[in-house]
Parts: sequence; structure tokens; C-alpha cells
Amino acid sequence: MKNIVYIILLVSQVFFAQSEFAKGNDLYKNGKYEQAIDAYTSELTAKKQSAELYFNIGNCYYKLNKVAPAIYNYEKALVLNPNDADIATNLRFAQKRTVDEIKVVPKVGFAKLLRDFTAIYHYNTWAWISVAFSVLFLLSFLGYYFSALTLNKRLFFFGMFLMLLMLLISVASAIFEKSHFKNERPAIVFAEMTDVRSEPQNKGASVVILHEGTKVFVKETVDNWRKIQLTDGSEGWIDSNAIREVK
Amino acid sequence: MKRYLVFILLSFQGLWAQVQFETRVSKNTLGLNERLQVDFFMNIDGDNFNEPSFEGFRVVGGPMQQVSQSWINGKSSFEKVYTYYLLPNQKGSLVIKQATIEYNGKIYKTNPVRVNVTNAIEQPRDPNDVSVSADSNLHLVVDISKTNPYLNEPITVVYKLYFGYNSVVTNLRELNKPKYNDFWSQNIEIKQLVAQEGMFNGEKCPYAILKKVVLYPQKSGKLIIEPLSLDIDVQLPTNRRNIFGQMQIKEVSKRVSAGAKTISVKALPEAGKPADFSGAVGSFDFRVTPTKTELKNGESLDLVVSVAGKGNLKLFTLPKPVVPNALEMYDPVHTEQVNTPLSGMVGKMSDSYTIIPQYKGDYPIKPLQFSYFDLNLGRYRTITSQPIVVKVLDGPMANDAVAAHPGSHKNQVVVNEQFKYIKLDTKLEPMAVNDFFGSKLFYSLLLIPFGLLPIIVLAKKKKEAIDGDVVGNRIKRNNRLAKKYLSEAKKQINNKEPFYVALEKAMHNFLKAKLHIETSEMSKDNIKEILLSKNANPEAVNEFIALTENCEIARYAPSSSATIQKDYEKAVLIISDLEKQLS
Repeated sequence: MKNIVYIILLVSQVFFAQSEFAKGNDLYKNGKYEQAIDAYTSELTAKKQSAELYFNIGNCYYKLNKVAPAIYNYEKALVLNPNDADIATNLRFAQKRTVDEIKVVPKVGFAKLLRDFTAIYHYNTWAWISVAFSVLFLLSFLGYYFSALTLNKRLFFFGMFLMLLMLLISVASAIFEKSHFKNERPAIVFAEMTDVRSEPQNKGASVVILHEGTKVFVKETVDNWRKIQLTDGSEGWIDSNAIREVK
Repeated sequence: MKRYLVFILLSFQGLWAQVQFETRVSKNTLGLNERLQVDFFMNIDGDNFNEPSFEGFRVVGGPMQQVSQSWINGKSSFEKVYTYYLLPNQKGSLVIKQATIEYNGKIYKTNPVRVNVTNAIEQPRDPNDVSVSADSNLHLVVDISKTNPYLNEPITVVYKLYFGYNSVVTNLRELNKPKYNDFWSQNIEIKQLVAQEGMFNGEKCPYAILKKVVLYPQKSGKLIIEPLSLDIDVQLPTNRRNIFGQMQIKEVSKRVSAGAKTISVKALPEAGKPADFSGAVGSFDFRVTPTKTELKNGESLDLVVSVAGKGNLKLFTLPKPVVPNALEMYDPVHTEQVNTPLSGMVGKMSDSYTIIPQYKGDYPIKPLQFSYFDLNLGRYRTITSQPIVVKVLDGPMANDAVAAHPGSHKNQVVVNEQFKYIKLDTKLEPMAVNDFFGSKLFYSLLLIPFGLLPIIVLAKKKKEAIDGDVVGNRIKRNNRLAKKYLSEAKKQINNKEPFYVALEKAMHNFLKAKLHIETSEMSKDNIKEILLSKNANPEAVNEFIALTENCEIARYAPSSSATIQKDYEKAVLIISDLEKQLS
């Protein structure tokens, strides 16, 4: 009896959470974007998240002409689901409304190739892949060890080393991807207009002026100043209140 | 004697050397309206006196030469003086250069003298001077509208010249144009001097406005307006009359100056100062108007940011609009239509930005804010413009600009990328997700296959070893069979026949396992012999054989379930006994 009560409670929790998301969708459909944001954010306050939720919040802010929160939520959605085309499309729409047009300097060379490869999967996915290779390694060892035919034995022996190599590659990819995830700290400028300074103090000479919605990468922290890098590679210090970190 | 002669010669030498030629000035510091007397003094009768060029001065009198020679107590003294009267033309540090004379074939020079000329000062009146009547008749007065204005609040400065009824001003020369440092000044041109009627010191007196200036203080604190100095030629009647009885007119040149004024400028209050305040003071209207808000590809629109009203219009900057980067905004065209009457600048100032949209879509332009200090209210006011949305009806989409390859495929069907609708389904996950990578589960899953490797190898080795041991295997099998049949016997304990069959089989297999013999070798004697040779208890051996025999008999003979139970227990007991003894 008690179990049934628990189950009902759990199910209703899930059901209730889903309805809040659905409520947001209904409000969005009727053009009540601000109330839709409230509905969606109540999911966030309940410590629940998903790429779709952030995407919908971003859409609401885009419709309300609030560029910085829109981009911020799209970026958050992309963190959870990096390969979603819809999110990338709407992010581009929002970016067209930002004031700053900062060139994205493409990275080149081996590091870029490496990153392109490791970025195919999230590091947790790489972890599962390496576990799979580990099992395959064991299977090919078994095949090698127990097969009587010489040809099979050779094939499995070769396969064994192949699997070991793949295992190492996937573990290395996971490590690389995780360190990249930890070191890359994107942030969105929320202040309408803010100075990027050459030193972490107000006296520092202004390097460039950024407007809301611009994406920057946080590199270092000194008190309430953040060293940031723009997408064109230039660096400077910014007040931590002017930006919000995505991760 | 010789010594006296030398002494006399020496003293003469001294006298010869005592040539004095110097410049003496009546004062080293004088006002611009004062005269300077310069004496070139010498104690010898020099020839060829060369006066210096008096740069920065005008010679009003001189040169006058004066020679005096006197004998006092047998001592003769000689003096020769050239005197000049000078009037400075400019302020500052002026130098009276060297004058030269020639005496006995030698040229003597004076030292240059430095004279400081300061602002015009009030001169003490000398009632006997002809110009006194001019003094009492001519007055230069400065009217300043406000002496404690706010920063950037306009003040007007009007210079008026009062003159007596009987005097005629024939000429005016501005000597010292006041410089309005720390002010933004606008001079209002006066085309013709017009005499007007006014009051001065309680008397009726005609006056003319000479100069009007509008000033905007650019600095807070005490600011000084420099005085204006004028040279005025004025015709004054004298007491003398000519033979026709007409009053004789005398022309007098007179220098007048209006005293310096200090203005204390109040800084604008810091309280409530908007962040975007750019220094506008006055009362204004602020507008941001686009020429159109819906346009097609390739069209442009002008965004006009304008401020109209009264105040320091030229002295602040207009706020700059901020547009999304999909709109290309060019540098503004700045226009000013500002008039400056005495009350201050009035008019309109505007920046016109040309904007060309690049991509289709709706683009908001943020409302602009303009703040100014309202002098009437004494506080800041902020005007916010309406938000503007620019609709670009067609044109390339924001996102396919990258993909567009000109001239690649003529008939390419371009599917315009649209702003994607919200997603309707989701799978919500708790926020604090533990990473699988790096977790204990991950490491154990990763390493378990490697841990299994030696186990598998060992297991296989063991199996091979077991497979290789033929005898051991047989014993094992028989043992297993014995147990199997024994348990089968237990199952069949209610069916007499199968029970005894199973029991017999169990015992046979037990013997096979323990004695390592085949079924063919199995005979009672043989069994007994082998068992005894293996140190088995003879009693147990006998019992065992009895039981096997009993099995054969009992199969066909009637027996109760109690005996079957008994036989089973007995078999178990014997087998366990034998097992202990044989091992």
C-alpha cells in the first residue's frame, strides 16, 4: 500500500513537471512570452533541465527582443545538446540582433583536427565507448584463446590489439574532451554596454567596448574581474557583473 | 715726486673712466593706460645720440634735450638728458632697448630696461588736466546678466559707453580685446553704433552699446573676465571761444577700460546625475525618427536623432543609436540650425544616420536616452525615445549568407532558413548529473574485462589439467553417479523396485569410484579382497556386501516401506563409513 502511494507521488511529480513545460508551450503559442518564461523557469527552480527547455526559454526571450538572455539560453541548450541544428539556427538569428560583430577567427592545424574529432561525442559518451571497446577486447581475446583454427586465431589476435588501440583512443578522447569542457568557460555579456579594460581595475585603459549578447570566453579571475578572450582572439578584463557564465 | 705723478695720472684715468650713460624710467610697472617717462641720462657731452626703437610703445612726447653744467666747490658736473614720453600699446613685459652715443671716438650704450605693462588701472584725477573733463564724461560700463550661473548656463556681457551731451566721440579703437578663457563665447555683431538715452549715476546720459557677448562657462569655480580697453578720440568744448564767439573744440584722446569682473560658476549638482549625461543644459525636446520602418532589400532608411530647444546646443554631443549588426549603420551627417540672440543659443541640432539592412527579418533598435539639466527646474531630466522595429521584408536570410556561392547553380532551390519553433517534447533531467566518465562505475566497467583475462587463462589451464587426468575423471564420474543414484533412490523410496535398482547402482558406482575397478571385475570376493587390502573395516565390508545382495533379493521379494527406509539409511551409513576408512 505504502509503495503504491510512493509510486503515485513519483509519477504525479513527473506528470506535474511535464505539465509545467506544456503550460509554457501553450503560453508561447498564445504569444504570452513573459508568462511562458515564468512557466519554464519554474522547471529550472525545481532543479530540472533539458536542452529543449533552454531552447524554448531562448525563443521566448528572442520574441521579447531581449538578446542577451536569448543567446545565453541557446548556449546553455547547446552545452547539453551540442549537435542540434535547430538550436544553432535560432542562435544565429539571435546573434544577428547583437550590436557587436566580432569575427570568429577559425582555429587551424592539428589541434583543430584533434578537437573536431573529439567533439563528435560528449566525454560521457566517449566513456561508454571505451567500456564497449574494453568488452570487445575481452571477446576478441576469448576468440583468440579458444578458437582452434589458425586463421581465426590470427584474426582475433589482430582484433585484440585493434580493440586495445581503440580503447586507448577513446579514453584519451574522453580525457581531452573533459579537460576542454572544464577549461572552456563561455560567457555572455549581459550589460548593455561595458568596457573591456587592459588591467583588472577601473583605471585600466579601455581596450574595446562590448554590447549585450556578445559571447566571450573566461580565462582567469582576479577579485570580481574576469580575463576574457573574444572570438577574434583579443583579450582583456571585464567586470564580472557584466557577464554571465554559461556553464 | 715720481710717486705723486703716478697717483695723479691714475686718478685722471679714473675720472676718464667715469662715463655714465644710462636709461632711467619713471616706473617699472605701469597700467596700460599710463604714461611712461624714459630719460637717457649721461654725464658727458656725447654726440650722435641714437634713440632705440620703442617697440610696443607709442611716443607721445619727446625727445626733449636738457643740458646742465654746474660748478660746485670747484667741482664741475655735467648732465645731458634726452627725455621721451611713451604710452604702451600692449600688455606684457616690454623692453626698452639700448640707446647709443659717441664720445671721443668711442661708442657708449645703455643697458636695456624691462618694463611690465599690466591691465589698465584707474588713474588719479588731476583737475587741472584737460582730459579730466573727458574722464568725467566718458564711462565704459560692463553689464553682466548673472554672476553666479550654472556651468553651461548662458550669461550675457554688454559693454556700454556713456558719454556726456557736450562731447562728440569721433573714433574708437579697441586696444585690448578681452579673451574669455574657460568660456565658450559668441560675439553678437553690432553693425552700427546707435546712441541711446540712459541713466548713469542718477543723471541722464546718452550711451552706445559697443559690444555684446554671450558666454557659456565651461569650468566651475571663480572665472575672471578680462577688462576691455578702448582708445577714444573725443571732441570736447573748451572755455575759450574764437573770434566769432563760437566755442573752441579741443580734441582729446582718452583711454578707458571697464574693470575686470569675477564670475563664480556653480557646478551642476551630482545628485541625480544620469549616467548618460553629456553636458546639455537648457530646455530641450528629443526625438528619434526613422524615415520608414518597413523596407525592401537594398533600400535604406535614415534615422534622425535630433535635439531642439534652448541651451548650449553646440556644446554637447547627441546620443548615438545602437543597432543590431544585421543593420549596417554609417557615420552620421551632423546639421545645426542654431541662432544666438542675447538670451542664448536657440535652434535644432540633429544627426542623420543612414542605415542599410543586410538581411531579412525584424530588427529592434533600442530606445535612446537623452539627459539634460533643466535650469528652470534646477534638476536633471531624461527623455527616452520610443523603441523602433525595422522590418526588412525581403532579402537574404541571416544564415544563408555564408552558404551563398554566387553563380554556382542557377536553378538552385533555396530553402530559406526560418526561425525555429519551440520544441514540444522534452525529457527533463535533474541538474546535478554525476559524470559517468571518471566515476567508479566507469573504472570498474573498463577494468573488469582485463581482470577477467588471467582468470580465464587460469580456468582454461585447470580444465586442461583436469581433462588430461583420465583416472581421476573416472573416479569423479563414478562418485558423481553414486551420489546421483543415491539421491534417486531417496526419491523412489516409496516404489520398491526402482529404489533398489537405484540403490544398487549407487553402491556399484561408489565401489567403482573408490576401488578403481571396472564393472567386469566386480565380484563379491574380488570386492572384499580389494576393500580389505585398502584397510577397510571388515565389518563394514561385510555389511556392504550383505546390502548389495539384499538389494537383488529385495527387488523381487515383498518388503515393507519401513525396511526400505532402513535399507536406505543403512546404505548411507555404510557408504559414509567406507569413505572415511578408504580415504
